[in-house]
Amino acid sequence: MAGLVATFGAGAMTNSIGEIRDADLLFVIGSNTTEAHPIIGMEMKQAVKRGAKLIVADPRSIWLSTIANWHLKLKPGTDVWLLNAMANVILTEGLVDEEFIAQNTEGFEALPEVLAKYTPEEAERVTGVPAAEIRETALEYAKTRKAAICYTLGITEHSHGTDNVYALSNLVLMTGHLGDASMGLNPLRGQNNVQGANDTGATPIFYPGYQRVDDPEVQAKYEDAWGVPLSPEPGLNLNEMMKETGKSIRGLFVMGEDIVISEPNVSRLEEGLNKVDFLVLQDIFPNETTRFADVIFPAACFAEKDGVFVNSERRMQRVRKAVEPPGQARADWEILLDLARAAGASFKHEGPRDIFAEMARHAPKFAGISYERIEELGHGIQWPCSDDDSAGTTYLHEGGILRGKGLFEPVEYRPSKELADDEYPLVLSTGRTLYHYNAATQTRRAAGLPVKQPEAYIELHPRDAGRRSIEDGDWVDVLTRRGKIRCRALISKQVQRGCIWMPFHFGEARANLLTVDEGDEVTGTAEYKVCAAEVRRVTSELAPKGEGQEAFYPGSYYRE
Amino acid sequence: MIAKTGEVTVDGVKVEFGQGETLLDVSNRLGRHVPTLCHDERLAPAGACRTCLVEVEGVRRMVPACRTPASDGQKVTTANERIDKHRRLLLGLYLTDHPAGRSDCEDGAPCELHAMAANYEAPTDWTPIPLTRAGRSEDVNPYIQFREDRCIACARCTRYCDEVEGVNAITLAGRGAATTISTVDSEGLFDTTCELCGGCVAVCPTGAMAEKMPLTAGAPPERELQKVRTTCNYCGVGCQMDLNVDTQASDGKGQVVKITSPPPGTPPSDGNLCVKGRFAYDFVDHPDRLKVPLIRREDGELHEASWEEALEFAAKGLLRVQQDHGKDALAFVSSSRCTAEENYLVQKMARVAFGTNNVHQCAAT
Amino acid sequence: MKKEEHRERIPDELQKFAEGDGSASVAVSKLTGIPAADVFGVETFYDLLGKRDTKVHVCTGLSCQLQGADELLEKCRQVGLDATPYSCLAACDCAPAILKDRRTLVEVSEKDIERTKGDWQALDSKEVPSSQLWSGQIYPTTSSPETCAIDLAGAPDWMGTSSNLALELGPEGVIAAIDESGLQGRGGAGFPAGFKWKSVRGQAETKRYVVLNADEAEPGTFKDREVMMKRPDLVLEGLAIAARVVEATEIYMYLRGEFEIPQQVMTEAIELAHSNGLYSDLHFHVHSGQGAYICGEETALLESLEGRRGMPREKPPFPTEVGLWGKPTLIQNVETIACVPAILQRGGEWFRALGRTEAGSKLYCLSGHVARPGVYELPLGATLEELVEAAGGYIGKLKAFSPGGASSGFLPASERNRPLDFKSLAEIGSMLGSAGVVVMNESVDMAKAVQSQLLFFERESCGQCAPCRIGTAHQRHSLDSFMDERDEAAKSRCLKQVDDVAWEMREGSICGLGQTASLPLESARKYFPKEFQ
Repeated sequence: MAGLVATFGAGAMTNSIGEIRDADLLFVIGSNTTEAHPIIGMEMKQAVKRGAKLIVADPRSIWLSTIANWHLKLKPGTDVWLLNAMANVILTEGLVDEEFIAQNTEGFEALPEVLAKYTPEEAERVTGVPAAEIRETALEYAKTRKAAICYTLGITEHSHGTDNVYALSNLVLMTGHLGDASMGLNPLRGQNNVQGANDTGATPIFYPGYQRVDDPEVQAKYEDAWGVPLSPEPGLNLNEMMKETGKSIRGLFVMGEDIVISEPNVSRLEEGLNKVDFLVLQDIFPNETTRFADVIFPAACFAEKDGVFVNSERRMQRVRKAVEPPGQARADWEILLDLARAAGASFKHEGPRDIFAEMARHAPKFAGISYERIEELGHGIQWPCSDDDSAGTTYLHEGGILRGKGLFEPVEYRPSKELADDEYPLVLSTGRTLYHYNAATQTRRAAGLPVKQPEAYIELHPRDAGRRSIEDGDWVDVLTRRGKIRCRALISKQVQRGCIWMPFHFGEARANLLTVDEGDEVTGTAEYKVCAAEVRRVTSELAPKGEGQEAFYPGSYYRE
Repeated sequence: MIAKTGEVTVDGVKVEFGQGETLLDVSNRLGRHVPTLCHDERLAPAGACRTCLVEVEGVRRMVPACRTPASDGQKVTTANERIDKHRRLLLGLYLTDHPAGRSDCEDGAPCELHAMAANYEAPTDWTPIPLTRAGRSEDVNPYIQFREDRCIACARCTRYCDEVEGVNAITLAGRGAATTISTVDSEGLFDTTCELCGGCVAVCPTGAMAEKMPLTAGAPPERELQKVRTTCNYCGVGCQMDLNVDTQASDGKGQVVKITSPPPGTPPSDGNLCVKGRFAYDFVDHPDRLKVPLIRREDGELHEASWEEALEFAAKGLLRVQQDHGKDALAFVSSSRCTAEENYLVQKMARVAFGTNNVHQCAAT
Repeated sequence: MKKEEHRERIPDELQKFAEGDGSASVAVSKLTGIPAADVFGVETFYDLLGKRDTKVHVCTGLSCQLQGADELLEKCRQVGLDATPYSCLAACDCAPAILKDRRTLVEVSEKDIERTKGDWQALDSKEVPSSQLWSGQIYPTTSSPETCAIDLAGAPDWMGTSSNLALELGPEGVIAAIDESGLQGRGGAGFPAGFKWKSVRGQAETKRYVVLNADEAEPGTFKDREVMMKRPDLVLEGLAIAARVVEATEIYMYLRGEFEIPQQVMTEAIELAHSNGLYSDLHFHVHSGQGAYICGEETALLESLEGRRGMPREKPPFPTEVGLWGKPTLIQNVETIACVPAILQRGGEWFRALGRTEAGSKLYCLSGHVARPGVYELPLGATLEELVEAAGGYIGKLKAFSPGGASSGFLPASERNRPLDFKSLAEIGSMLGSAGVVVMNESVDMAKAVQSQLLFFERESCGQCAPCRIGTAHQRHSLDSFMDERDEAAKSRCLKQVDDVAWEMREGSICGLGQTASLPLESARKYFPKEFQ
């Protein structure tokens, strides 16, 4: 997100979801779209059916790679090499859009020098992707005008995630694939309202609408609006907060998030949580973090309250109350208003409608959006929407990049923080599956999904499994320098040799006990996609007994 | 708008049409109602249900409007004695191979066939034919049930599974009157490529592809439920969906007993949903839900508390940290799962009530 | 998006798959890359694929029923032979017939069944052992090239005389000759052949195909079988001429799956022709059907060739514009294409003059209660009387006949002097169709005969469109309940329903099957009202 704000001036999908089916080329990198965003996956399938070319870059074989024209099966964490090499080809072949660069960008001059050493041949050595495929896909991307790039956490959940985004931005800017329908750069959001949380200022550096906290004019505006002095000091990002928990951070308020299951290097976080003075939780279910809490507020779920979610394509859509919350549970906004008041603030809001109105009033990007206009226009409104005459924006950067000039940010490859070594010779990545969601707080309480996919598993290449005498369905320990979890082995060529993969949804086999807590320097996003690991078969007497043992059923629909 | 490529006359009214438009598109645009059972605008037209037959001047046989491209100068009739008779008799014939009682048939979703038969006054007293379509009663998947007696073999479900979802889990199987919907070797859906998106349920015009949970739970039929349009709470696509609420349930608090999709063409999801969006709603009523505020008392245990006490306890606790360790000793973790308004309030509270910019949502990237 | 290029292999691969080796669909899905459910949809559509475990299929076509098919079925049951009733095997002249695995056995007796002692592999016809490449009786029995365009008794010509002539004439010359001959499609529709050739030739798309429709399955019809058995030379030569005219190089020959013997003959004929240096510019692909009558419908045939369920396509567009794999395709029936060599050798005018009421000589398939069932080549427009006279007379007293397969319904004895041509039969609501003439004497119960035809259509409906899928079942059940019903009011309600359903099937069905499937019932009621009271 921060990467895109820096280079384009807006951290969101440049296109609309409905435009994907009309693209002539899709470059999907670090996104298992059909599992993480099934509906966008359908759009991609439509595009391919229509004849669009599909390039998938992913260390694993995924559903989409089965219908892709090219599957660039790169080694985890080598994205910058791949992308720079593609840029190198485009540059060398003279396929850069010089007019676009001259009119719409800055910083191009520095690019060629950096790219010079990223030849496809060298890239093949580092990434494992054949040089010929890098060439072909680079040319195909450069030559196809309606070319859209989609990415997800496979790009951002790295210690160099922002570099990856810069490398992608460079590709887009150098080819001018921006500012029209079905072309651009599209981060697909993992949560229903990641976009909205960013948009409305739940970040240490921005007020709502991406207005910087250290901008004196902005600060003055909000001091005036809210009637209190405000700090111009950017706060800690999430990764820093978690690392400082128990150190400089002594009190936490956590809403709608199970930090113990979701944040990396859990052992250290738990130590920190034991040391904090005070922890307030607000959630719909008890969770792994509950045992550290001093206060727990029971909250309403999405079906029990009114509000707005902002989707990946910047569409502000209504959430509507359908049923009453259980027991004494209340909507988060109600609780927050009362908590702020109890802490001495005078928040004079009546409900979501006027909270939203206040938010939009001070954020120029959203100034034309209100509950009334959302109703009136029928299908939500995509920001930017600066006044009541605007129907919103289906794709960004039409007639000029929002930042003013698109910024080239040449990047050098930096290895992931932890690489495979003799002791931990495998590279572990984590990710989502279709059948569960995040910490599975909801999906494991759904009647059917745990039947389809009951338990955690680790995907292991047959060769790696063979060397460890592991068979399909065996219980194994997955170990890293930070911890150990126990789950079943799934022998599959879906992963490449030397790589292992597991879903992060399962509390009893928490992938986050294993992952490193090194975050991206800019965003703080943790490196969930690469760490060094080892897998060992668990002898039968130690293997867990009971339910599910005979019915090992990963529920994954694609298994090479 | 559509680039004009010609003009057709529909029931005496001249109308322009654009590239790729069918007689059905043109008729619909004119407000001439042509009935369809196998049509879905997301799917390639099949012309199999035969309800949309219309007359084109100079063509002896009636033609399916759904798959007949409009061509310049065509004169189309969408209703006359022959067409009306055809619709009436065809629908009467359908009913001989379908549960006769409308209210029995509509125990789950509304039945388009019954509605259409009533609309066109189709005969309802024709002798039924014996059911020869095979079902898959042994399929134990928790979500999707195929009820073969209701199936009209329109193949909306199989075409959706192929053309939209792209997983090809289900197919037309068998031949003739025994033509049914099956999976490979009649396996349970769990043992196929099915991703349980439930699109087959959504597109089925007759409730043959039905959602199991509300049927098993004995939920009221869909027509008695209140539909509340909202946004899905899982991934970032923001699919629109209708919560179907049994308003009488849970002592009048209401209960979500089913989720249905909005019509095709509704952004951003074109009326599609995935397995989580369509089926994973039962967490709402899960007994584990937190229902009462809890505070940790001196014994180190969590105890139930009143809202007043819990709020005061929480505010004081946070303010004490602020006093003891400074404003930036507090951290506020907001949620990408909560609404825009709630995220706004968290950051405003952190900044206004507690004076810190240490606020970040949980899914920062 | 799916890798479609291997789809056409599905039926063949399924055929190769022996029973009991796990899921055929899953295995073939892996081989072809086509989703397993799709393969299963194909597997269950075709009788020879979906019911591979049953090895004995007793033909229950009308002619075989007249010759004791029901008794054979009963006998199978008695000796513990797993047998199923089967739609017409195109062996009406050698009835009763049984399909054993993929081999058609003819003139099977109850004794033959008894001898098996329940072992299907032991089944054989003592009269016509399966070691013989059997074929049927023909008329004229001696070569008559002056009066018979096909001349079944004639010696095959492996010199390519006509195809060489065609090269001299050039495409336009060939088309002119075909036009002049007045040749109509002999598969059933009677569509002018020359018109189709011109249409394909005139398409902008240059990749084109020629398809031979040898899916002869209309009950009472077996002429294409005889042409392929006795004059494969004419079939290949006709195809070659057609392919060169429409500028196609790929020729697909779609033989019904039960034609194991004709397929063998045709395959050998292709080899022989090629070894004689004929047609080296052309590729003949012999494709085996898998047991589905509907695939004789040209668009269903194309679907089937592409490896799909044989469900007819909506027309237009016609195959001449959008055919096999979406390309312009000339589809011709075996008999039609076999007429072409003689037309080129002797001229269009000659051919036209061979006919009496319409152009050409015609192969009539004669079976049922006649002395010598077989294929009779007579002037188009010959009457039943003439046919039967050539066949040695009726067995018993003529009661009714079916002039052109099940789809043509029944006619009373009073129509015995009506010219059997496309136009004269259409005038009385019947049709020449494939000229499968079935003769019934006074011993025949018309209701039972109708029942047999209705059951056939019900079994063979593809199931795609509702009027046919439900209608065929509805009509058969209605007739059942009508015959059982005693109450007059109920009977008349039932008949009203049958009329309404028949109207709807005619108007609403996608293809000819559904459109004509009520004809046997309607015509029998019209001409034999007493038997339906």
